[in-house]
Amino acid sequence: MSSLTTRVTNSSELWVPSSSSKLLLQIARRDIATLFRTPWIIISRSLAFIIQLFVFAYLISGLVLSYPDYFRYYAVGAVVSTVASISFIIGYDIFEEAEEGLLDYLLTLPIPRREFIIGRALGGAIRAMIYTIPMFAIVAVLENFANPLSLLGATLDLFLIAFGVTGLSITVAVTVRSANRFDVVLALLDLAVTRASTALYPLNFLPGYVKILAPFSPVTFAGDSTRAALTGPSFDALSTAGLLAFVVIFLGLGATFYFRRLEGGVYA
Amino acid sequence: MSSIHLIPRVIERDVRILFSDTFLVGIMFANFCIDLFVTAATFGNLIGSSYFLRIAPGSNLITAMVAAFQSGRDIWREKYIKDLASYLLTLPVSRRLFVTSRIVGGVARSLVVTVPGTLVISYLYGVLFSPRLFEAFVIVALFSLGIVGLSIAVSAFASTIEVFATVRSAIQLYLSFLSTIFYDVSLFPAIVQPIVQTNPMTWAMQAFRALQSQGSTLYPIAVLVGPSLAFALLGALCYLWYTRL
Repeated sequence: MSSLTTRVTNSSELWVPSSSSKLLLQIARRDIATLFRTPWIIISRSLAFIIQLFVFAYLISGLVLSYPDYFRYYAVGAVVSTVASISFIIGYDIFEEAEEGLLDYLLTLPIPRREFIIGRALGGAIRAMIYTIPMFAIVAVLENFANPLSLLGATLDLFLIAFGVTGLSITVAVTVRSANRFDVVLALLDLAVTRASTALYPLNFLPGYVKILAPFSPVTFAGDSTRAALTGPSFDALSTAGLLAFVVIFLGLGATFYFRRLEGGVYA
Repeated sequence: MSSIHLIPRVIERDVRILFSDTFLVGIMFANFCIDLFVTAATFGNLIGSSYFLRIAPGSNLITAMVAAFQSGRDIWREKYIKDLASYLLTLPVSRRLFVTSRIVGGVARSLVVTVPGTLVISYLYGVLFSPRLFEAFVIVALFSLGIVGLSIAVSAFASTIEVFATVRSAIQLYLSFLSTIFYDVSLFPAIVQPIVQTNPMTWAMQAFRALQSQGSTLYPIAVLVGPSLAFALLGALCYLWYTRL
């Protein structure tokens, strides 16, 4: 899945230009290309989203009488939870690279470690966005979200959650050793982060024990902030601040753990 | 040693493989807890407390489905990752008997994984301390039988783990969302209703709900036998097909 290498056609390409942004983009571009080499993931997640929205959300919203227009609530939440789920995939790639020995090759590239790590996270986030934007467009058309500023704000929120979850996924990928365990830990984390949040269910209706945790879930921050941008008249500063904190913490943690694994504990 | 005596060995091996990573079993239980105590409880709050009880068995059956699919995944790993398929076929047991044992092993694994869930649902339905508890396990076993068969069929044709995971996801979507876990069959458009009515999950849910209402589970279980046996047979045929010389 992640055995993509960039073919060098010109010897001058061996020395990558020193501009940090170019190096970041080069690494990010590789991760984006990796996603499109695995269409099965795109097919299965797209199918899941379509059934979730057009079958489950449509039918269940007919039963939910205690919350007005639950379909709209669920539709926005489904986009947020999908972008979070897709962002977890970068962890699988990094785990596989380490198992297959491809990481050794990647480390020989003339790219500083810092750019390499941030580039991986950025690539993971961008590809999650590329994948989710068609779904977001479907929801926007269905629910008549037409204000360009609102759409821009919501897209920024989606990007932030994607960036943060990518950091979280990298952290897990470089700390869990067993392949079987890694699969289930990531799947459980995905499930826990999404379900124990207000992305799909309004806070007041969550069970008491989840209500305590849900306000601190990054998916809650993203869900609330995206909803505020799309449907509310105001900007949800608290949720956006929480989302930014999540990005900074997990990107930092992911980078630190990844760097430690790469360099045996030395942090430059 | 006769072939028949090897069957329990094959089943035991499959159960041992499952418990070679107890962490995995724990995670499956955690998934069940999230499904029941977060998702089902939230929908209970959104729709009504009786709705929680209505959808509760779905959490356990989804766990059974995940556990049953692990059987197919293990067979796929034996074939492509561990290179064990050839060795297993040299065992002094006929292939028909061998595949039957693998299917039974898969059902046994699924039953073991769902013991806590089945007990929790039985408690919620008030049958924990009655002989009807046995019926709850029969429902889970029959449902798992079909899913183990499906997972073995998928493992026979999937050449990469991505293909296996994609087909597994599609089947899980069909079982979860095109069934009566969350809503009654009458809510579906007429064109989709036959798909819902032939879904084994629908009949496993109906059987559990019959337990709750103290009704007879005979009819839903009798219907569930049909797709479960058909899927198990499909799995066996696919396994025999891919192991043919």
